Amino acid sequence: MKVGIPQSLLYSYYYPLWKTYFEALGIEVVATPTTTKEIMDLGVKNSVPELCVPIKVYIGHVLKLEEMEVDYIYVPRFVSISKGQYFCPKFMGLPDMIRYSFPDIVDKLIIPTIEAQDENIAHYKNFRIFEEIFKITPKENRAALRKAEGVWLTFRSHCLKGYTAMEAMDLSFGEIMEEKFEAIEEGVTIGLVGYVYNVYDPFISMDIVKKIRSMGVGVKTFEMLEENEINRQLKYLQKNLFWTFSDKILASGYSFYNDEDVDGLIHFTAFGCGPDSMLGKLLEMESPSFRKPFMTIRVDEHSGENHLQTRIEAFVDMLRRKKQKSRRGA
Amino acid sequence: MKISFPYMGTTIVYKKLLEMLGHEVIMPPKPSQKTINLGVKYSPEFACFPLKVIMGSYLEAVEQGAEVLITSGGHGPCRAGYYEQVHRRILAEEGYQVDFLVFNSMFKDFKTFKENMLKVKGKSSWLKVAHVLGLIYYMTKKLDALEKQVQKIRPYEVKKGDTTKVWEKIQVLFDPASTKKEMDRAFQQGQELLDGILQMTVPEERKIRIGIVGEIYVVMESSINMKMEELLGNLGAEVERAQYLSQWIEYNAIPKSINFTHEMEILKKGEPYIPINIGGHAKQTVGHIVDYAERGFDGVIHLMPFGCLPELVSQSIVPKISEEMGIPVLTLSIDEQTGTANSLTRVEAFLDLIRGKRAKKIS
Repeated sequence: MKVGIPQSLLYSYYYPLWKTYFEALGIEVVATPTTTKEIMDLGVKNSVPELCVPIKVYIGHVLKLEEMEVDYIYVPRFVSISKGQYFCPKFMGLPDMIRYSFPDIVDKLIIPTIEAQDENIAHYKNFRIFEEIFKITPKENRAALRKAEGVWLTFRSHCLKGYTAMEAMDLSFGEIMEEKFEAIEEGVTIGLVGYVYNVYDPFISMDIVKKIRSMGVGVKTFEMLEENEINRQLKYLQKNLFWTFSDKILASGYSFYNDEDVDGLIHFTAFGCGPDSMLGKLLEMESPSFRKPFMTIRVDEHSGENHLQTRIEAFVDMLRRKKQKSRRGA
Repeated sequence: MKISFPYMGTTIVYKKLLEMLGHEVIMPPKPSQKTINLGVKYSPEFACFPLKVIMGSYLEAVEQGAEVLITSGGHGPCRAGYYEQVHRRILAEEGYQVDFLVFNSMFKDFKTFKENMLKVKGKSSWLKVAHVLGLIYYMTKKLDALEKQVQKIRPYEVKKGDTTKVWEKIQVLFDPASTKKEMDRAFQQGQELLDGILQMTVPEERKIRIGIVGEIYVVMESSINMKMEELLGNLGAEVERAQYLSQWIEYNAIPKSINFTHEMEILKKGEPYIPINIGGHAKQTVGHIVDYAERGFDGVIHLMPFGCLPELVSQSIVPKISEEMGIPVLTLSIDEQTGTANSLTRVEAFLDLIRGKRAKKIS
């Protein structure tokens, strides 16, 4: 039996958990390849034009899975992973958009509702649906879940050490070994504010992390921050954003502003992202008071790679000059 | 204190409410191109359209001396719940000193609700507040009853524009009314005015009825939705909106468990398509389309602000509902780029399609 998982949206955050879980149950996991032009076009053609790129890409991946002849497609409905907070409405309605747009694949879809108190979603009730589908006992289910949870926690601990989500994923599967980071002493560090599904999708982000690193610049992202640090930053807000991941990246923004090691912020967002339209503005308005440069990069399905390169280079040059100047002044 | 509020629908109701509680009200001007330009200038580029228009309204109200702005809050997941935070920051950035009174659902956070009520209450007694609230609700119901007639009469008026004029007159009639008796009289006069409109007689089978569904702000506020109701009326179609103020009050003021309003039924009808509440009015939109189809409406116009998160979900599902229920639906997304001629053409074509479908059925 094959279960298909689209390599999109929260794939970069929960794939270690999903993969381990299904494999522990003896089920083959098929993930789509990283986004390609073909997958993107598939999504763009089959969705409402005003949707944001990541959702279109996700739809593309789901359709790709249909071609890959899997038995089931795992499309979880993310509702909430912290108390009083939700996901973006588009996440919550995503399974509905898919099941009413593509009647051919309705039978293959597995749509469990994901609700949890914190970002660890390995709760029995979120995965109970599989007992009936795969004919497994609750005991087997729980055992698989425990194993998956372990792997996912290792994955998160790697993230906190400063590995990007994709590196941490490979580490948690034991595919690569830990290596020492080259300490960047003279150089600058950029705080990259953006969702995992934009930043780590090499097609959407055009590998922005790699691009920044290849310039000898350090990168920090939100998943490298401790939960406590995130909560501490959120205390300053009068009313928090009610979208979990938006809240996290807003907190990461504040954390980067307060972090002496970070020289500038890049807000990486997709065209038409609703939560980002608000939090981007909030962060932008904070930039002068912290005296740290802030840049927004907005991508959509037609982004050109050269323009991204040029803008990042210019931003890095500016940060370097600023740093030199302040050092000379001091 | 000088109070103002966002402009939406029959604003005379909010004005009345605050005035009766003894506040000085700064009436925000009806959103115009100037309001929109102002709002767009200061709002985040990709924020949804209502945020921008309301931003413009606030700036105009504050210019006129408003000190306190009253608005509704929310806990997501739709962006509207965070409007006030962004507005507050932008107004502060521009150097305006204003307070916000944000009303969240009283069933979720009663403490803040009470504090806000105390501020709004001012010197009036609780008894008076209750009395005023009752009166306002009464007036809203009366106004909505008249507006529903307006929407039914407009397509058949002999002289174009008569009904709209009467509707404006009716709102002025209600303005000085402050007792139930006076409201009844205003209603009576309004009714007479409506009855006085010369109408063409159109046989029942040739009448076209269109429902308007979608996000509440763009549905209710005619000045930003290209006066959709008037437009449809002038093209010869009866109109019914998915949202009326009185319905909104009923739905929000009664606890869920004992709420038997029409809105709950609508939500149930939307359930098969969107099983959970995903914020905004997505579920209502879907439910209303089903409802209109069941009630034999000829078509539905679905209005949404550009990039509206919940409505994008309903938009994705609309083709399926339209197919299953056999009702044509036209989705129009609205933002500051008002291509009126383009939308007009689309609406005209939509009505032609409906008439064509009807003619085929008869022959």
